[in-house]
Amino acid sequence: MRAEATQISAFTTAAAHALCFAGLAVAHSLAGRGILVSDPALALRLLVVCEAPVVIAVFSYLRRDPRSCSFFKAAARGLIGLPVGAFLNAFGAIVLGAPVGIKYWTVTIYWSLLMSLFTFVPAACVFGTSKIDWQNVLSHSIYFTPTDIENYMISAPCHGAVLGAWLGAWPMPLDWERPWQEWPICVTYGAVAGHLVGMVVSWVLIAVHKRSGRAKAD
Amino acid sequence: MGAAVARWTVAAVLLQVAGLSLFLYGFFPVKPTLRGFSGTESYRMPSCGLVSAGEQEPALPPDQLRSLYGELFGMPPVYDRLVLMVIDGLPAEFVLGRGGKPPSKEMMESMPYTQSLLAGCKAVGYHAKAAPPTVTMPRLKAMVSGAIGGFLDVAFNFNTQAFLEDNLLDQLHRIGRKLVMLGDETWIKLFPTLFARQDGVSSFYVRDTVEVDFNVSRHLEFELAAKDWTVLVLHYLGLDHVGHIGGRRSVLMTQKMKEMDDVIRRVHAASLQDNLERTLLVVVSDHGMTEGGNHGGSSYEETDSLALFIGHSVDRPHCSPYDQNEALQVDLAPTLALLFGVPIPKNNIGVLLRELLNSLTDDQKLRTLELNSWQILRLLQAQIPAFCLEDCINSEHGLEIDVHPESIEKKLCQLLSKAFASHQYSRVHQGFDFKSAEARYIGIAVDNYYGFLRYASEWLSHKATDKPFYLLISAILLMTMSCLCLMGTVSRVFNGQSLSQADHHSESYLNQHWHLDEVFILTGIFLYVISLGSSSFVEEEQYTWNFLTSTLYLIFLIKTVQSMLKGSSSTLVHRAEGESSDGNKELTPGKRDGYKLCTVLIVLVAGRVIRAWHQGGINWVHFPDISKLLAQADSSIVKFLQTISVLAVVALYSVSLMLLRARSKVLIGVWLSHISCGLLVLLHIWEDQINTTLPINHSTTSTARLFYAIASVSISATLLASPWIFPVYSTEAKPASSDSNPVKDTDSCGISNSVFLTGITYTMFWCLLQLLLQQPINAIPLLLIFLQTVSSVAHFSLDKTLHKQWVQVIAMLFLGMAGHFGLGNTNSLASIDVAGAFIGISSYSTVLSGILMFTITYGSPLMLYLGMVVYISVNNTDDISTARQLTWSYILDKMVTLPCLLPLLINSVALTSYTIVLLLMRNHLFVWSVFSPKYLYVCAATVCTYVGVLIIAMTTIYTCAVFSFRAKSYRDKFH
Repeated sequence: MRAEATQISAFTTAAAHALCFAGLAVAHSLAGRGILVSDPALALRLLVVCEAPVVIAVFSYLRRDPRSCSFFKAAARGLIGLPVGAFLNAFGAIVLGAPVGIKYWTVTIYWSLLMSLFTFVPAACVFGTSKIDWQNVLSHSIYFTPTDIENYMISAPCHGAVLGAWLGAWPMPLDWERPWQEWPICVTYGAVAGHLVGMVVSWVLIAVHKRSGRAKAD
Repeated sequence: MGAAVARWTVAAVLLQVAGLSLFLYGFFPVKPTLRGFSGTESYRMPSCGLVSAGEQEPALPPDQLRSLYGELFGMPPVYDRLVLMVIDGLPAEFVLGRGGKPPSKEMMESMPYTQSLLAGCKAVGYHAKAAPPTVTMPRLKAMVSGAIGGFLDVAFNFNTQAFLEDNLLDQLHRIGRKLVMLGDETWIKLFPTLFARQDGVSSFYVRDTVEVDFNVSRHLEFELAAKDWTVLVLHYLGLDHVGHIGGRRSVLMTQKMKEMDDVIRRVHAASLQDNLERTLLVVVSDHGMTEGGNHGGSSYEETDSLALFIGHSVDRPHCSPYDQNEALQVDLAPTLALLFGVPIPKNNIGVLLRELLNSLTDDQKLRTLELNSWQILRLLQAQIPAFCLEDCINSEHGLEIDVHPESIEKKLCQLLSKAFASHQYSRVHQGFDFKSAEARYIGIAVDNYYGFLRYASEWLSHKATDKPFYLLISAILLMTMSCLCLMGTVSRVFNGQSLSQADHHSESYLNQHWHLDEVFILTGIFLYVISLGSSSFVEEEQYTWNFLTSTLYLIFLIKTVQSMLKGSSSTLVHRAEGESSDGNKELTPGKRDGYKLCTVLIVLVAGRVIRAWHQGGINWVHFPDISKLLAQADSSIVKFLQTISVLAVVALYSVSLMLLRARSKVLIGVWLSHISCGLLVLLHIWEDQINTTLPINHSTTSTARLFYAIASVSISATLLASPWIFPVYSTEAKPASSDSNPVKDTDSCGISNSVFLTGITYTMFWCLLQLLLQQPINAIPLLLIFLQTVSSVAHFSLDKTLHKQWVQVIAMLFLGMAGHFGLGNTNSLASIDVAGAFIGISSYSTVLSGILMFTITYGSPLMLYLGMVVYISVNNTDDISTARQLTWSYILDKMVTLPCLLPLLINSVALTSYTIVLLLMRNHLFVWSVFSPKYLYVCAATVCTYVGVLIIAMTTIYTCAVFSFRAKSYRDKFH
């Protein structure tokens, strides 16, 4: 199983991330500039609709155990993971202070679906119910100890999205009276930016990992 | 090691106290103010020596007082009626121009009548420099009292806004003058009982620029026709509102100025109607405004306020109205006082305005200057106790000596004696010499008087506002040293711990590398310190704390899930965990994981509900929240919630006492007293409902007092007795006789149990006290904070290896701060609950109600400190039982060091960094409105930390001491 897992190359990872990025870019071009500020619900819905099939397809293709698990089973895992991850993300956001009024419900749901696509769904598709892998996703040890390429591929963008969203919430209480300070606009900006940075970080980590692996082999 | 740590800590705390008091002394100077009101003594030369305070003059009826003042003064009042027209926020530049140039054409045209008066030399205008903070209330105080108040005056008078110092309006009222006020309701807040007729308008609706002024002007016709008043105060807010909306160049500005000009025209026309021209019209502004229309700071644009006098005494044949005519805002007070024949207010530092005295004879001019000098001299004597006029005259011998004086005191002395001497000289030469010579003598005397007055006034005002920079810097250095000292101590403790831990478990899971929660805590504290530099973050601090605390507990949640994943996947770790969980044999790992998860979830959910309870802050305080919802709802719901909270606390106490599994009379006694206290609180709540109309009710007062008595007796009884009721040696231990190391047998369970009992008693009684004192609406948040405390302690005790001890202590500190804001506290002084501070107190006592106020405001952090005692008791048993050398000092060290050091360190970091921020921001626009109130809160939090740490340390030390004494006597008995 381990041998198979390492077969995923850096190039595949980059391609997968590029596809996900393309999904985001398509949604952005469909929505047009500034729509996230003027109509966050619409923009988030577009993002989720464009991103969801891409993420589920790409990461189901890259599933960890291709022999024992078919593509469709992995996709089904992703589909189940989407609402579960959305629930967890919404719980986190609300605990951290996201507003719970009726007028925020739709945006909160769309936002948490998007966050689920960034964080929970890829891991659900690739790892399934493997506990040790989930534990790796939750920890930050991948940045210190070398692991599989998959771990880098999944963890870094996921951590980036969460961290970005967390940092994105800081300007919200300020009295600048800007429209983007509303929930969840700046948090979404932060999450997307963090996700993209996480992708870059994962490539860097994979490259470093490969070099050190080669050096070890020599 | 323990003794050294304690010594260093005490040294650091002492350094901090010294630095803090130095800084407070330097940054918020408390100027000595003279109490009481000026009376007849102000017409006499101040005598040397101590000011006789006991000299009480008989209270004369207003008419007699008026005639007495007239007699003593030696001249009739120059005017009979005063119209004080305050135009809020009008910069003097708009009317008088700047730098000797007239204002722009547009401005000239928008005030045609005023400009014509100025050009015709019928009015005199001054650039009256206002002292910061340039906001309305302090400026009005300065105008009527002539004094510059300090910041702490505002802070210490939070229970009354009424102005109690000597001032012009009160002086006029005392001689039976009738006062009428129209406009800003700040005047009514300052003088609630003074005005015969009043119509206040609120400055709350800044968007409104028309109605505020219409509400003032609609009374004009009636008031101008009425003959009964002597003082008419008109305060127009519209111009300030225009500035706040659109800045100086707002399109509404010229229109508003035209409106003001029209008011001036109407008032002046009415004053001309009475033939004697005995009315003085004074047009002043309380402060200026910046380009953007804001104010509060100390820039030229904000401090450049107007003082324009229209009346017969300022008429002169020729003038140049646009000269930069500088004055101080405080000069208004003595000038008006002398023009209206009342004594100058006691704390005045202003100087008579020269042009206002044009119509007086030379003798009268000198007399008024003399009175002003006497008054200033009295104030100087309060500042420099040894300052004395006779000494000056004796030492100087006339006016010829002109050495350069070295000290300020000497210089003042010289100027003063010169002035009085030249006055005397002109008086002697009166009528003898030629007219021209007499005029020359008088001119010299006037100049000498002004020389003294200006110099003294400047010195006094600097004394009130100057900040000794080096003093502040050295104070900050002291605080930084204390902070570094604490850091050094903590790092030493950590080094010692890691050494001892390396001895014990070499394969320790904890020491591998930095964990997420540890990194987060350091980052979070760093972010918090950074956020203190921004006024918006200081205003909305509750978001910061809630965000940091919930994030920390979310990380705990992640770690718990992670450990669960690890626990079920890896048998190795499972076995290790099984070993470590010796203390909790009765719990299966699965159940333990469930409990761990639940406790974190309780903390998180409770935290969110607390967050939603009060919106808090400054800017978004109007947003809906649960407390507003409940305030609109029926009051019986609030009573119901209060009852639930009290019952829950009482029930939890019973459960926790049951956990101890010890039956002792003390325990039952404490339990019963707790229940009775709970009943008393319930009684108080329900009594309150019956008599809501009466503010202080006798039976509620006695209920509260009974509560205080029972609670204090049972807490001290528990503290004193608890170390004696638990066994020193457990029954499971081997007989002590056959042991080489007797202390090793000592059961740490006994000491834990006793500390647990003390801690839980503290916490529960504190909870009940808070339920008694806090506003009814805060009952549920209090219960939730209490639940958070208990859940955190439970979570930490369930798995001691999951988080390091310092992380646990800091998590509890974070909870305390988040709860502090969750109870509705903000960083403005307005949110302090004053009403609760009088529960159970029948007569006003500053100390007692101050203590209660502190108890209410810092209820949540102190509860977490008391919870820390419980935490100590449940969390150290394992460490202690596995420790190699089990001496009492070692146990003490283990228990007390971190829970005491970390709060001190965190507080020291916050205090030091905020002090530096305050020093950097001393010229910031919001230094008085945002940063200084926050500084008072930071200081109070420091006191709170000291109290909390003292309680923790004293309790544990006392318990350990008793146990070691008992162990020793036990051993003595058997050997």
